Amino acid sequence: MIEQNLSELEGKSVYILREAKERFKNIAALWSMGKDSTAMLALARKAFMNKVPFPVIHIDNGIDFPETYEFREKLAKQWDLDLIVQKSEIKPEVSGYACCGANKTQALKKVMKEYGFDALIVSIRRDEHGIRGKERYVSPRTKEFKWNYKEQPAELWNDYWRKPEKGGHIRIHPLLDWNEIDIWNYIKKQRIPINSLYLARNGMRYRSLGCTHCTVPVESNADSIDKIIKELKSTKKEERSGREQDKETAYIMEKLRALGYM
Amino acid sequence: MHIEQITLLGHKDHGKSTLIGSLLMSTGSSTEERVNDAKKTSKKLGRRFEPAYILDAFSEEREGGLTIDTARAQIKYKNKAFEFIDVPGHEELIKNMLSGAAYAKTAVLVISADMDEGIMAQTKRHVFIAKMLGIEHFIIAVNKMDAVQYDQNRFYSIKSEIEPYLDSIGLHKQKVNFVPISAYKSENLVSKSENMSWYRGKPLMDLLATCYNKNGANDNYVRAIIQGTIDTKNGVAYTAKMLSGKIEVGSKVKVLPANKNVVIKSLYVNGRVAKSATKEENIAIDMAADTGNINGNMRGSIISNSNRTKAARMVSVMMFFVKPIKNKVELRFNGNAVEGTVRIDKVLDTTTGTVKDDVKMPLELDAGECVIRLKDKVALEEFSSFRELGRFVFYSGNEFSGIGIVEKAIG
Repeated sequence: MIEQNLSELEGKSVYILREAKERFKNIAALWSMGKDSTAMLALARKAFMNKVPFPVIHIDNGIDFPETYEFREKLAKQWDLDLIVQKSEIKPEVSGYACCGANKTQALKKVMKEYGFDALIVSIRRDEHGIRGKERYVSPRTKEFKWNYKEQPAELWNDYWRKPEKGGHIRIHPLLDWNEIDIWNYIKKQRIPINSLYLARNGMRYRSLGCTHCTVPVESNADSIDKIIKELKSTKKEERSGREQDKETAYIMEKLRALGYM
Repeated sequence: MHIEQITLLGHKDHGKSTLIGSLLMSTGSSTEERVNDAKKTSKKLGRRFEPAYILDAFSEEREGGLTIDTARAQIKYKNKAFEFIDVPGHEELIKNMLSGAAYAKTAVLVISADMDEGIMAQTKRHVFIAKMLGIEHFIIAVNKMDAVQYDQNRFYSIKSEIEPYLDSIGLHKQKVNFVPISAYKSENLVSKSENMSWYRGKPLMDLLATCYNKNGANDNYVRAIIQGTIDTKNGVAYTAKMLSGKIEVGSKVKVLPANKNVVIKSLYVNGRVAKSATKEENIAIDMAADTGNINGNMRGSIISNSNRTKAARMVSVMMFFVKPIKNKVELRFNGNAVEGTVRIDKVLDTTTGTVKDDVKMPLELDAGECVIRLKDKVALEEFSSFRELGRFVFYSGNEFSGIGIVEKAIG
């Protein structure tokens, strides 16, 4: 995994966050309490004089890990976040594609409508998945939350201004250029707090965090951030290999994202 | 580490995505899961293994055998890092090609040796656009050599066929390297192919290594673009992004297009009080003007101490038209929109590099030497002196219609 220049990455992300704030009337960010969306909040603090100037949304299906909820409460207080928790339904018999596609996306639709957000910051990265690699920094969604990936707008030379269609919204992806290892290097350099589940316990750690139903830990002895960075330098495994919803059938991520999944 | 961005260019089906997929595999830069996924998909579709599927992740791309949208792949080779940008070769997907190619400094043009119809128009158009975008180094990879029995005559005839075109658009021979390859069989990519011992040059990756980090640095003048405002403890400050040089508290600079001389009173970098800031950094600043006040909406204004940065309403430009335009267009410099009208003086056929005699509006996939007249003054610079301030995109009837570069500020 290639380590990129952190100040260049930071410079670009902060620019995009400021453009988003400048251009859209009512923006919010998704916060899963994972490493990426937490690093994004740290970048937003840099962009806006140490205060995240937009609400952060947790789509809560009630089955996240206890450590995740604990981390949410702690950081929301420490960084004075404007936290919106939107409960999503969970049926024990439904998991994977159906769960992420239906339950979480439904909950997101509900909260977006209730608050009238016209833009949503989502902390996806290009290197996570082939389909996410096709994303733009600024990407329109229809009122049904569909991603029209065959008709993406041209995006060059800092021209990030897109008008959402009526009832639709714009997704902002300030972390698109970052690699997994860059996120960890940045967490280390900036001393960004993280969810303790990322650190190995008894030979296992979570490399990518979802809910308790669909996320499994990977074998690892990396019990510190330094060790995680070292591990990533030589890994040949996919970051999301512990995420069930990516795997069920071919093109599952394409289908999920087309439906409005993050 | 520095990552050299490289765009692929060329006609559809000549093997751009296959080349990147092959490079990912032969340099060990992909994960097993992505390679296995590509293998599984190939089998399911009843095709031979297709390395292009490592990048072409959409179902339509795999099943249709074409790239719809750009994708990027990072490769490490001999302690240098490269990012390959795959772009679609189809004519109708040219806006996606622009979105990818606009970031690169080096280009690899892929031409299939296994073609009877000669060099394709789209191949030439891609080179024209890349030259216009300021790409400085070109490598022309003559692909599918395995399909023509590694025949060196085929390689040399393609080379001599494209050379006059490169000449006609002003691409100097020293900036172009040719290499015969088989992307599918991974020949002449990272090591020399025994099947083409007649080729005396370096394999593709070694040619790219000679272009690594070779682009000239900018001058040291201060340039920053104002984004908006932000509240600080000491009142409202302007947010800005540093594009070049170093700015300090006490620096005397000009704000354009207002054309005001100002002094930097205070400065923040990443939310903290700072004494100075350099390229890439996002700042917040408080400024004092020599005369009058600095206030109002300054979004899109440029802070500069170079006399090459100008405020202009009439500008001589080169434009590439993805779509025909109406009389009025919206031009966006660094995302900041201004209305303008376009006078087209000369139309260039991008597939021959020559001037078209009968100028017929509307234009599509042609380039033009034009003069634009803007509703308001805009701060800009010639593309040849500072790229980020000398380029724009344009919209007509709310639709993306093309790109342009500044040749000269007229007044």
